[in-house]
Amino acid sequence: MFDVARIRADFPALSCPVRGKSLVFLDSAASSQKPFPVLEAMERIYRQCYANVHRGIYAFSEEATLAYENARERVASFIHAPRREEIVFTRNTTEAINLVAYSWGRTNIRPGDRILLTQMEHHSNIVPWQLLAQEKGAELVYLPITDDGLLRMDLLDSLLDERVKLVAITMMSNVLGTINPVKEIVRKARAMGAVVLVDAAQSVPHMPVDVQDLDCDFLAFSGHKMCGPTGIGVLYGKASLLEAMPPFLGGGDMIRRVEWDSATWNDLPWKFEAGTPAFVEAIGLGAAVDYLSGIGMEKIAAHEREVTAYAMERLSALEGLTVIGPPAHQRGGVVAFTFRRIHPHDVAHMLDMEGIAVRAGHHCAQPLHRRLGLTATVRASFYIYNSPDEVDRLAQALEHIGQMLG
Amino acid sequence: MNTVYTETILDHYAHPRNWGRLAAPDIVADTDDPSCGDQVHLELSLDAEGRVAQVAFEGEGCMISMASASLFTERVMGKRLEELEALTEEEVLNWLDAPIPPTRRRCALSPLTALRAGLAAYRRAFAGG
Repeated sequence: MFDVARIRADFPALSCPVRGKSLVFLDSAASSQKPFPVLEAMERIYRQCYANVHRGIYAFSEEATLAYENARERVASFIHAPRREEIVFTRNTTEAINLVAYSWGRTNIRPGDRILLTQMEHHSNIVPWQLLAQEKGAELVYLPITDDGLLRMDLLDSLLDERVKLVAITMMSNVLGTINPVKEIVRKARAMGAVVLVDAAQSVPHMPVDVQDLDCDFLAFSGHKMCGPTGIGVLYGKASLLEAMPPFLGGGDMIRRVEWDSATWNDLPWKFEAGTPAFVEAIGLGAAVDYLSGIGMEKIAAHEREVTAYAMERLSALEGLTVIGPPAHQRGGVVAFTFRRIHPHDVAHMLDMEGIAVRAGHHCAQPLHRRLGLTATVRASFYIYNSPDEVDRLAQALEHIGQMLG
Repeated sequence: MNTVYTETILDHYAHPRNWGRLAAPDIVADTDDPSCGDQVHLELSLDAEGRVAQVAFEGEGCMISMASASLFTERVMGKRLEELEALTEEEVLNWLDAPIPPTRRRCALSPLTALRAGLAAYRRAFAGG
């Protein structure tokens, strides 16, 4: 039995009243709330053993370094990475994707090459490739989606030709909620000799992810969407690729030896971690990983499926409400919708007055919204701490707004 | 329910004033905010003394942007070009007479944003011609 009440007690922010009402937080796809163990792990470092990592020859630095590198090991085992040096800490998913675009991309992409994306990508998995393609004279190709938000897998083979050098795809859409058949796409792409990057910002926080099973080359995700702090993200990369790549940012910590005119690089993963890293945040992410593992990713995924299915059923029953994206069994805990002809910003604003936090806008996916013929949508997203009761509060508030505006 | 959605705002949203286009506008202005899809098209014509003689707008967007644009057309009528140029954000927000939170300021100010773009274009044409 999944005990939501017990989980909620771990998240202090969830019991803060909002607008005089109890908070219904339905925006975890943007960023999740933080449980006590994460807050405590970070506070412990700041209070008890804070010092810069890697070079201090004294107790505090030694302890902070150990905790930092230990967090890396836990993240590695969380996504089943075979080696801890394949885990590069970045600021977030966006920076992880940019790292690959700058370092791998500028070394390997040539004029006439193609980069295959999908129509449901977040801007962070579009714009870095646009910059790369413009610079290199390469071409972006998008795998289309169906009207109900599924990838047109029937078109994959025809788009995956020998010109495609990189496939960059989201594992789960932050708007449609669609969970994509990434393993199949990786298999086909690799058979054609393409490198595959997976945007796992919406999947790693919510379901078991195994990079060895997926066999992807790169996988990127953010700490703040999975109960961890902001400012820390992860790039997983196969060691053979990371070793061959030039550094992304230059500076301290990423070097072995510096001369007046040249330098040599540190080992993996530090070659890609220039400057003082966000080590306290990484330690917080390590605690988040422990917290989620303690509950169990299978259980978390099952709970979110249940809440999402209930939300689809409740919301779809409202007059004038249209849910976008596929049926419940093909999606994660994201439900975006339009409501009558009320602008999504107005809907979100009115829900906020009831203490319900949802997101309204294009959710960093403007091309996808244009493909769907929409400017903006309202999005409710669910996590471990959300309950069917909160779905009821959302549905009741929407009903009330509908009545008020006739 | 939220006090931002006052009777005035709901009324101007449901029944926008000065909706449409002018036959021969002197100033034509557009804003298009891709982040939320608010679009305001504003047209003004000036009389011989340089006062706003006619004004019209069309647009698509949230209640606050549309209601603000409608109220705006009523308030700018008769104003001189210099007065239009001196309009401040606070004045436009005051016209709405509702507690606009920081997250919705951009919506409420969309007619002013449009006007400023239109005035700049008008001045450029005037200076060039």
